[in-house]
Amino acid sequence: MAIRVLVLSLGLISLSFISLKGQNPLQNRAVDFTCINCLPTDALVQLSRQTGINIVFNDLFFQDCSPVTVIVAGVPFSKVLETITACTNLSYRWVGDQVVFYRKIQKFTLSGYVQDAETGERLIGASVRVFSNAATGTTTNEYGFFSLPLEQGGGYRLAVSYIGYQQDLRTLEMNADRLLTIRLAPNSALPEVLVTALPVADMVENGAGSRQNLPPAAMKQMPVPGGEADLLRLAALQSGVQTGVDGLGGLHVRGGNADQNLILLDDVPVYNPHHALGLFSVFNPATVSNARLWKGDFPARYSGRASSVLDVRTRDGHFREFHTDISAGLFAVSATVEGPLVRDTCSFLLSGRTTYFGPWIDLFSKRDNLITFSGENINYRFHDVNAKLNYIFSAKNRLYFSYYQGGDIFKNRFEQRTNDPEGLFTDEYTLDSEWGNAIAALRWNHLLRKNLFTNTTVRFSRFYYQSKLGLLSNFLSASGKENLLANYGQIYQTVIRDWSGKTDFSYFPTNTLTLRWGLAYTFHTFQPGALSINFLVPGQSPITIDSLSKVLLNNERLGADEAEVYLDAEWQFFKNWRLDAGLNYSLFQIRNNTFSAIQPRLRVQRSGPGGWTHWAGFHRSAQYLHQIGSFNISLPFELWVPTTTKVPPELVWQISGGTALSRSGWNVSLEGYYKRFERVLTFLSSNTALFTGGAEDASGWEDRVSAGTGSGYGLEINLEKRLRPTTVVFTYSWSKAIRQFPDINSGRAFPFRFDRRHDLTINVQQRIANWLNLNLVWAFATGNPITLSGVKYQHHAPNGDIERNVYVYTEVNGYRLPAYHRLDVAFNALFGRKQLTHSIQLGAYNIYNRANPFFLYVDSGSGSNAKAIQYTLLPLLPSFRYELKF
Amino acid sequence: MSLKYHTLLTCILLLLGWRCVREADIKLPEQPTRIVAISHFSPGNPIQVEVSLSQSITDAGDPVIPANADVSIAVGGKFLDKLFRVTDDGGRIYWESRDLVETNTEYTLAVRVAGLDLVEAHSVAPAPIRLSNTRVDTLGMRIIELTDGKLALQVPLEISMANLPAQDRYFAFGLRHEIEIFEIIDGEPIPDEYYEASTKFLADGRTLALVYDTPEKVVLVDQNFWSNDSKTIWLDALIPFDPDYERPRRMFIEWRTLSEDFYRYHLSLARQGSNIPLNDPDALYNNISGGYGNFSGFSVSNDTIAIPDFN
Repeated sequence: MAIRVLVLSLGLISLSFISLKGQNPLQNRAVDFTCINCLPTDALVQLSRQTGINIVFNDLFFQDCSPVTVIVAGVPFSKVLETITACTNLSYRWVGDQVVFYRKIQKFTLSGYVQDAETGERLIGASVRVFSNAATGTTTNEYGFFSLPLEQGGGYRLAVSYIGYQQDLRTLEMNADRLLTIRLAPNSALPEVLVTALPVADMVENGAGSRQNLPPAAMKQMPVPGGEADLLRLAALQSGVQTGVDGLGGLHVRGGNADQNLILLDDVPVYNPHHALGLFSVFNPATVSNARLWKGDFPARYSGRASSVLDVRTRDGHFREFHTDISAGLFAVSATVEGPLVRDTCSFLLSGRTTYFGPWIDLFSKRDNLITFSGENINYRFHDVNAKLNYIFSAKNRLYFSYYQGGDIFKNRFEQRTNDPEGLFTDEYTLDSEWGNAIAALRWNHLLRKNLFTNTTVRFSRFYYQSKLGLLSNFLSASGKENLLANYGQIYQTVIRDWSGKTDFSYFPTNTLTLRWGLAYTFHTFQPGALSINFLVPGQSPITIDSLSKVLLNNERLGADEAEVYLDAEWQFFKNWRLDAGLNYSLFQIRNNTFSAIQPRLRVQRSGPGGWTHWAGFHRSAQYLHQIGSFNISLPFELWVPTTTKVPPELVWQISGGTALSRSGWNVSLEGYYKRFERVLTFLSSNTALFTGGAEDASGWEDRVSAGTGSGYGLEINLEKRLRPTTVVFTYSWSKAIRQFPDINSGRAFPFRFDRRHDLTINVQQRIANWLNLNLVWAFATGNPITLSGVKYQHHAPNGDIERNVYVYTEVNGYRLPAYHRLDVAFNALFGRKQLTHSIQLGAYNIYNRANPFFLYVDSGSGSNAKAIQYTLLPLLPSFRYELKF
Repeated sequence: MSLKYHTLLTCILLLLGWRCVREADIKLPEQPTRIVAISHFSPGNPIQVEVSLSQSITDAGDPVIPANADVSIAVGGKFLDKLFRVTDDGGRIYWESRDLVETNTEYTLAVRVAGLDLVEAHSVAPAPIRLSNTRVDTLGMRIIELTDGKLALQVPLEISMANLPAQDRYFAFGLRHEIEIFEIIDGEPIPDEYYEASTKFLADGRTLALVYDTPEKVVLVDQNFWSNDSKTIWLDALIPFDPDYERPRRMFIEWRTLSEDFYRYHLSLARQGSNIPLNDPDALYNNISGGYGNFSGFSVSNDTIAIPDFN
């Protein structure tokens, strides 16, 4: 028998090298054969001897067979073989003049959805692992779908897990294709939060290193100003992710610009992800289901931005019960209602959030803070509205509709009165600004085949900003006569609007290979900036227009087409290796000019013994849309503009590599990267935009953009130790980010505004009781670079007048602000039963009231007391949030 | 427990009372005192150099003008002239050459002040690119009535260069106008005297965004303005006048062809901002080796336009 096995093995190996095309003539040879009540093995031996045709097989193939009786005459040899082996599911092939039997391996597809057992919410990125002789696995896609081809048979153990849920373990028989809906039960207690390192077991499926999950549970438990949970604040805690002071200034990933982040809400790009200039994000925590951040090596299906991807998905809404979630913090209140329209078939979610900053602004106003910048009567608020509807037509068809609308309103009024011997001068200044996003998506999930999943989306996204500026100057003479001195009005607006459609395919041909491909088309409409001025000034003025005239400046509207195709392959090979390779090709057309880019993505990962995982990756990405402004800190009035012949596409490539260890409760990862900005843009400032709501930036924008280069490199360390009931998470990055533009700093390279040498976060989570935990965050960062002058001289006009003081700035960003650090503390408590739960966060942000410098201003204009004045954004702030769910 | 919370809350409220703005103990970048030399020269005129000493940014006093400065110019490495100190009627102090500037000649400036580093700079006055066509669109002229009873004459103006160089597109211009003051004698306006004033102007948004005021009383044109390869600037000059006794007569256009040193220095000044927080100023362009300031040449081409009578 051993020989038979050996021959069989050799035969099988040979199969790999021998062409088996065509039929062997021996198989039609007529045979007379008789064998009564024989075991199939004996019958085959007898047939071989009788015909002289060597037949190779393994006895084990027939161990379950009963004796057979065969009596035939003049029947083709192949028919005799089939008759003898009818009791089994075997196949055979001709190898030369031999017949080699082998077990016909029949494969079936296990596919399905993973969802929350209570709400029906589809779970993205859930781990699906199958154990038999060897383990195999995958993760659910953006719609909670997975597919795994498995060999026919039984004894499979299926383990499905997701952070914050109880693991689902079950035994499987695979005798047919199966489409499962796996419902995971959520943990009832306060969830332990894994923010940084992933267990190595998950790394194989998820891809370690540059990708990080941002669990909503972590978002809700971290201490934040006013208790307003915020996704972007959680993102900023990750190594390699930086923001300006206290969150203002946008998200900067590995030295990238804020506009280089692709921020998706239900697969729709969000152009302005911030409220309050960056202190809060537009993501209402009550609606976030899943968020994933790629700092590099992102798959080819993501394109359009050069540095990173933040993919945020909203909750679907409860499929079985109506629920309400009311949350109130010190700054905002939100309410969410969800439930089934048709039980288990159709659900909805409706959520709204609004703010009450009034008392806080009053408090800050009196302290001459930045928020008060120039005013005494300030009103600021923002709101968000989320809606989602989804309908399950069948196990293979599902429709989603997502909608978001959010906006900010900022009003500033102040009056300045100057007493003069001749009378009273009064200047009344008003600035009303509004800005916001609106997005909508209609998505259709369709299971085309058991292992081919498609998603088709129609999308809309719009961002607008509008400001109205007014100045009214009056003079009241001593005699009581009132004269109008000036009446200035200005309306400025900028808009970007997208309509797009895309189709994505996910194909799971084997349990080690997943292919994704798709195509997308977007029509962009840009209104970079339209300005309407109404200016009345008696006498001379730099711009003197009669009172009723209106001047429209730069009111152009631009249309642009963007299209892309992509292919992504995820391949697990040699047991512990994983390859992610992709290619994206994109086209951008504007004013009859076409730009294109090939964007390769590559990532290799090996999970070694002892809990080690190593990886290396490369990506190149292009960006056709740019946000430009005088301040480059992602202020809402900064313009979104397209690539043109004068404004080239931005190009970035990045290589990274790292290693991770997961052992004995330790999760440690170390990753290094080098990022090259082949082309990066900056705006040559107009200097006055902050005071006039950005109007100046709109004019001549194409000729005020400078294209340069840059680089960023760094080392990121994540360390997590779980010592129940304590979890310590430590993240550190050492990095450098450099920019070089021909038009800035006399062409010399200089540090990027958000260059930070050291960035450290320590997060301690202490479970005090099953219903109570403590969350501490200490953050430290090197101060941001700043341009300062220590020397001045006077430049005289030709007639000898002192025209201006010239400050000698020798190097752009040549100096550093003092280091940034703060400690945040929060207690999180969860009470109640399943039908009625209360959660409370009580804590403090910046508990030791560190006066972190937001910016520095050298006041040199008031005599000999020139001094540096430091502005601080957020002092110690209490953190409180109460959330009621029923 | 409640007492502890009470104490904590009290502390929080106290801490909130801290101000968010404070004087910061920042060590500002210190630089030793250096010579400041500023000179913009043009063909046919002597070189005038203002010399002073740099000051700390915290120094509120007047800048020191060294009495014993030794200022000289050289051409091609050979000494040309030692500049002499001049104090004009307005008290302005500068050093002036005897020789007149020639086009396309590279001048080297050297300034020595005892106890300070020698400073040197080089520059050239480029050949002028002249205006080919300066035109007033008479059909587009109109009078704007202002609320104080004055009028402003809006004059559409087209300023074109003879040729646009492929590179080094460094230009600036200045506008002035002449107003005739008249008396009514026997019902006839009789010209009495004239005065000149600088002219404000309007333009489309792109043009306004790409021109910068300079201390030199001319408007610097960003070289990106010419990216469309157009040789023309369109402006609406605004000339305020009192119709009872004034009449706009002429406009004077000073068109400067700049050296790169002139252009970059004034562009960097324009991009310094006004010390506005959050707005990073650009580094100052400095071609004075060992010191500060600017030594740069330019050429001038002037044009005069008669303003047609307009009722």
